Amino acid sequence: MSAQPKTPQVDNDSMEDRLYTVKYNDPGDSHLDVKVSDICMQCDSYDCVRVCPANVWRESEEGVPHIAYENCLECSSCRYACSHDNVVWTYPETGAGVTFKHG
Amino acid sequence: MTPQLDGDAVAEPNYDDEFDAIVVGAGLAGSAAALTMANRGLEVLMIERGSSPGAKNVFGGVCYTPTIRELTDFDGAPLERYVAERRFGMLSKSDETAVSISPGEWHEEPHNDSYTVLRGEFDEWFAEQAVEEGTTLVTSTTVTGLVRENGRIVGVETDRPDGTIRAPYVVLAEGGNSLVSESADLKATENRENVAVGVKEVLEFPQRDAVIEDRFRLTDDAGVSYHYFGEGAVGDAFGGGFIYTNDDTISVGVAYRIEDAVAADQSPEETLNAFKSHPAVAPLVRDARTVEYSAKTIPEGGAESIPDLVHDGAAIVGDAAGLVLNNGVHLEGTNMAVESGYHAGNAIARAADQGRVGADALQAYPDALERSFVVQNLERYAWMMDAVEADRDLLFEDLPRAFADAGTEYFRMDRTPKEAHAENAKRAVLDAVGGWTGAAKLALRYRKVVT
Ligand SMILES: Cc1cc2nc3c(=O)[nH]c(=O)nc-3n(C[C@H](O)[C@H](O)[C@H](O)COP(=O)(O)OP(=O)(O)OC[C@H]3O[C@@H](n4cnc5c(N)ncnc54)[C@H](O)[C@@H]3O)c2cc1C
Ligand code: SF4
Ligand code: SF4
Repeated sequence: MSAQPKTPQVDNDSMEDRLYTVKYNDPGDSHLDVKVSDICMQCDSYDCVRVCPANVWRESEEGVPHIAYENCLECSSCRYACSHDNVVWTYPETGAGVTFKHG
Repeated sequence: MTPQLDGDAVAEPNYDDEFDAIVVGAGLAGSAAALTMANRGLEVLMIERGSSPGAKNVFGGVCYTPTIRELTDFDGAPLERYVAERRFGMLSKSDETAVSISPGEWHEEPHNDSYTVLRGEFDEWFAEQAVEEGTTLVTSTTVTGLVRENGRIVGVETDRPDGTIRAPYVVLAEGGNSLVSESADLKATENRENVAVGVKEVLEFPQRDAVIEDRFRLTDDAGVSYHYFGEGAVGDAFGGGFIYTNDDTISVGVAYRIEDAVAADQSPEETLNAFKSHPAVAPLVRDARTVEYSAKTIPEGGAESIPDLVHDGAAIVGDAAGLVLNNGVHLEGTNMAVESGYHAGNAIARAADQGRVGADALQAYPDALERSFVVQNLERYAWMMDAVEADRDLLFEDLPRAFADAGTEYFRMDRTPKEAHAENAKRAVLDAVGGWTGAAKLALRYRKVVT
């Protein structure tokens, strides 16, 4: 017997494959934004990026995070995470955005 | 009263002033409120932003149903399994020490009113019950603001053409991400210490039949609710992991405070992966296929975070009012959502009978909630979050490790007498808690969890 406990391999889907499991209806433009770009340029914590479970918020060269809003699961975590209260968060209109089958 | 059709090019019904009450959100709290008011003869409009009720909703897994059962015929409800076993596992990096409870009584109807459900189906069914009682349901419509006149709330704005709808009462059942209530200054935005991020996967096992029954030792409709905490579940964050069995899928996820999530060296997705790979969890989830990935926040501020529940012309219910109990042992919001919707609906029906709309006329709702299990439970555990926060290293890291060590010592198979093993086991735990005095203090501090 091996010395280490035998743990079966768990294959996790990539983020891309995970996001493929949910239905998404593109509202056309982003329901997320930042209030003041300058605040992001001076921000060094990037808590929006750290908390997001769907890789929507991404660090970018310009200092203001890039927002891949089509990935958004509408969980609202980024709204609370930003300690500078700099996230503009609205719901995608008229039912657009993510649709969960199971939930 | 039949809503009138607009004569214009847009063949949308004109709902303005046609209803006695508007419910914002067709989640559990909203449908409970709508059902209660419709039952009492009110004309109710329920507005939901998803394409169907439940389409935007995510939760862990167990719906607690004592109130739903009272409100409607429960026989057709889309339940997955009843909870026959609850397991609490303390995970250190590579060990598990667990307590499991499976009383015979839970196998009997009404199964302790604890059932795993999937919200897509369940919320749709529950909203349907409100519709059958006469509620008008509008989907794919987002409420964007409240209409006020002389300080009183008299209706809602929506994102539909001519989207303003007036009604004497508005029930805010919009869930924890309560943009409408917050923008109308009915409540403050929660701090990130009081909100958890939850990520979840629904998994199926395509390769073999009866995997769920075999792995979780189940027959028929019996199911399990497994909760995990400690380092191996969510690192050093405040929160835990869960596994719930559905009919032919399982729900697996982690939920922990946003305050800790931003400080952690891994993303929520990576935390979920690590939890699924723990030696005690991996055998339960291996060879699965992900059928859905989802995420949602949980308001965890407890009793201290409950906002004013009634305003002139409006009431706040469910997660929008912060009514969730999450203390590691209990994770309950579904029952509180339904209970609060029910009491708010009742209070509004009574006020409507008297033709009154002021906050004072709705006071029966907070009064009833105060007396119900909802506020009683939240207040009972209010101290606990602070205590757990103060003891977090001990509870989430040192103790899980100490119990694992103690177990290892106690059952050690060698040629030393058992007395020495027992002594080592005792020492492992006592060292972690700070000796007998520490143990006594700890027991005293947490006695209310069980007594
Ligand atoms: C990860 C996780 C795990 C959980 N596990 C459990 C558990 O195992 N057991 C348990 O009892 N509880 C659990 N909970 C808590 C439970 O899910 C909630 O307490 C419960 O869903 C609250 O119901 P609600 O009706 O108040 O809000 P929600 O279920 O959030 O419903 C709100 C509704 O309003 C709609 N809405 C929001 N804004 C608008 C708008 N502006 N216009 C129109 N519609 C709008 C939404 O689309 C949604 O349908 C969990 C929560 C999470 C996030
Ligand atoms: S949104 Fe907030 S957390 Fe994110 S970069 Fe800007 S200021 Fe920082
Ligand atoms: S709402 Fe959730 S999924 Fe969407 S961007 Fe914010 S953190 Fe990411």
